[in-house]
Amino acid sequence: MSTLNIAQVQELKEIMEDAFDDLVATYVQDSEDKLKLLKKEVENADHQAICMLAHSLKGSSLNICAENLALIFKQIEDSSRINDLSSIEPLRLQAMSEFDAVKVELGSTNTL
Amino acid sequence: MEGSSYTILIADDNMSDRMILTAIVKKMGHTVLSAADGLEAVQQYTEKKPDIILLDVMMPNMNGLQAAIEIKKIAGEDMVPIIFLTSLQDANDLAKCLESGGDDFLSKPYNPIILTAKINAFSRMLTMHNILQQQKNLISKNADHLLNEQQVAKAVYDNVAHSGCLDLPNLKFLLSPFSVFNGDVLLAARRPSGSVHILLGDFTGHGLPAAIGAMPLAEIFYGMTAKGFLMEDILREINSKLKTILPIGYFCCACMATLSFRKKNIEVWMGGLPDYYVLRKDQDEVEHIVSTHLPLGVLSSQAFDATTQNIAFDVGDKFYMWSDGIVESRNDDGDLFGEERLKQIFYNNKNRESLFDEIVSKVNDFTGESGKDDDTTILEVGMLEESELGKVNIDLSGGSVSGPTDWKMEYTLRGETLKSFNPLPVMLNILNDVPSLRRLSGQLYTLMSELFSNAFEHGVLGLSSDLKSSTDGFAKYYQLRSERMDNIGKHTVCFIFDHIPTKSGGQLTIKVIDTGKGFDYKSIKSSNFKADTYCGRGIPLIRSISESLKYSGNGNTVEVVLAWQAEEA
Repeated sequence: MSTLNIAQVQELKEIMEDAFDDLVATYVQDSEDKLKLLKKEVENADHQAICMLAHSLKGSSLNICAENLALIFKQIEDSSRINDLSSIEPLRLQAMSEFDAVKVELGSTNTL
Repeated sequence: MEGSSYTILIADDNMSDRMILTAIVKKMGHTVLSAADGLEAVQQYTEKKPDIILLDVMMPNMNGLQAAIEIKKIAGEDMVPIIFLTSLQDANDLAKCLESGGDDFLSKPYNPIILTAKINAFSRMLTMHNILQQQKNLISKNADHLLNEQQVAKAVYDNVAHSGCLDLPNLKFLLSPFSVFNGDVLLAARRPSGSVHILLGDFTGHGLPAAIGAMPLAEIFYGMTAKGFLMEDILREINSKLKTILPIGYFCCACMATLSFRKKNIEVWMGGLPDYYVLRKDQDEVEHIVSTHLPLGVLSSQAFDATTQNIAFDVGDKFYMWSDGIVESRNDDGDLFGEERLKQIFYNNKNRESLFDEIVSKVNDFTGESGKDDDTTILEVGMLEESELGKVNIDLSGGSVSGPTDWKMEYTLRGETLKSFNPLPVMLNILNDVPSLRRLSGQLYTLMSELFSNAFEHGVLGLSSDLKSSTDGFAKYYQLRSERMDNIGKHTVCFIFDHIPTKSGGQLTIKVIDTGKGFDYKSIKSSNFKADTYCGRGIPLIRSISESLKYSGNGNTVEVVLAWQAEEA
């Protein structure tokens, strides 16, 4: 699965016009904040907080066309719902590296 | 762009999501408000009353479900569509959104086409809702106006339809309209001759559309009755009027009756009504009077049949009339009251004086809580001795105050018209233009009716009233009458009215000239006339009400003088 859904990104750029860069910056900043929080909550084993964060990240990632990343957050959300904390940390690490890839691709969308 | 521009609240805790939604909504031309959680959303709604709300389900502080419940509570009767923003897929979660007041969903990633479609759909709904609200306000304003108008109209209607003599001691009645206006009419008025005309009418439907036909009906009934027209003429006139003015499928079931105190009978015409009952004094048997005609306003004047039924009716007898609202009233279970129940009241009745009240209370008990669904009218008619009723008080209001007092008129009836036309109402109408003669309306009617029948039957047809003194003679009289009617030829009867003002009032001279052979009036002394018989040319009667009476020529000219005194102001 590719990191970004290119066709959808094109559509999004048409909607956002000049504000697209702002949107990307906002998404990146917001997600970095939430990923830091997520790390902390996993350490605290607070599955409710984990669920909220993962749900929010899933939604915003879907909207930014990062389908693969959204899928990882969905797995974290699902695991937190059934209290399966052990599988969450590996998924979180996976999300971190996928997020880096998304950042890179979003940064290069101007040349798409 | 679709219709008007609306204010749309976007409540989502993800800033990037809000940015995307804001971009889409702004492109559609709407104004955007935003909120980052449920609390903010409720606050924004309270302060700025946005038209449509896009609400994320999972938000910190207050989630979307709670926010939706709060907002719908605040909105009350105002319409505020809520579209839930969700990536939830579980049917139970979606159901929770609907339970909390959500109207629709939008799933992530946001699709601008779908969002546009949804917002447009709700915009249309809002526009319709607003129009509906405006029209609702307009309708309630109009309803107030209409009610006011109805009350004024009702006052006019009541003046026209209820100016009769329903307060006579021999009449008991109940008029119970279903709404403000009554589709049933009940009219009673005394004729100049002293008898009473009664009309019970039940128009198709109820309320104003039914009542409106009652206005011309009442006008004709009172106007023509006061002028001395017979029931047949009045029915014809009403039928032809209603036929002209009522739409197809609308008519008036009616019963008209002439109650004659002198002859002790009732003459009845009934069209389209349930059976009426007659109870005889000291008898338990109920006599049925059946409708033999179509309702008024159905047939053309040519096809209309004014044939009546004559029913002997003595003091102590009772005649019951009603509209079908009585037999067709329903109870809570929807059962009809029906003729059987009505009949049972009559058979079980112990005290005739309370029968009327029994019928009314039985019908009311039967319909009970369900109330009625049609106008109901019931009337009980009794017989009285004429002396108990007092004088006829004819109201012919509308004439000028002083009126014509100095005039002369000649009215001649010839041939066919002489045979078939009743000239009395026309002549009485003209005499009634003299205000003071209105008080004498009854006497004038009797006077002219005697003069006319003398001139026609004895003068023109040459029939002798002596014949009428025996039963056989009576038959012979009518046989001759019918024969001679066919050969009426060029005979005429001419009325000459001459009215002059006098110091104390006025004087009316009526001269009647017929083309008959005349009679030897000189040989008949007034003492030979028997006052209390049908025969004798009604001269004693005429003498009793007129100032003077004299014959001239060969006995085919008679002149009657009637003087009146002005009433003290």
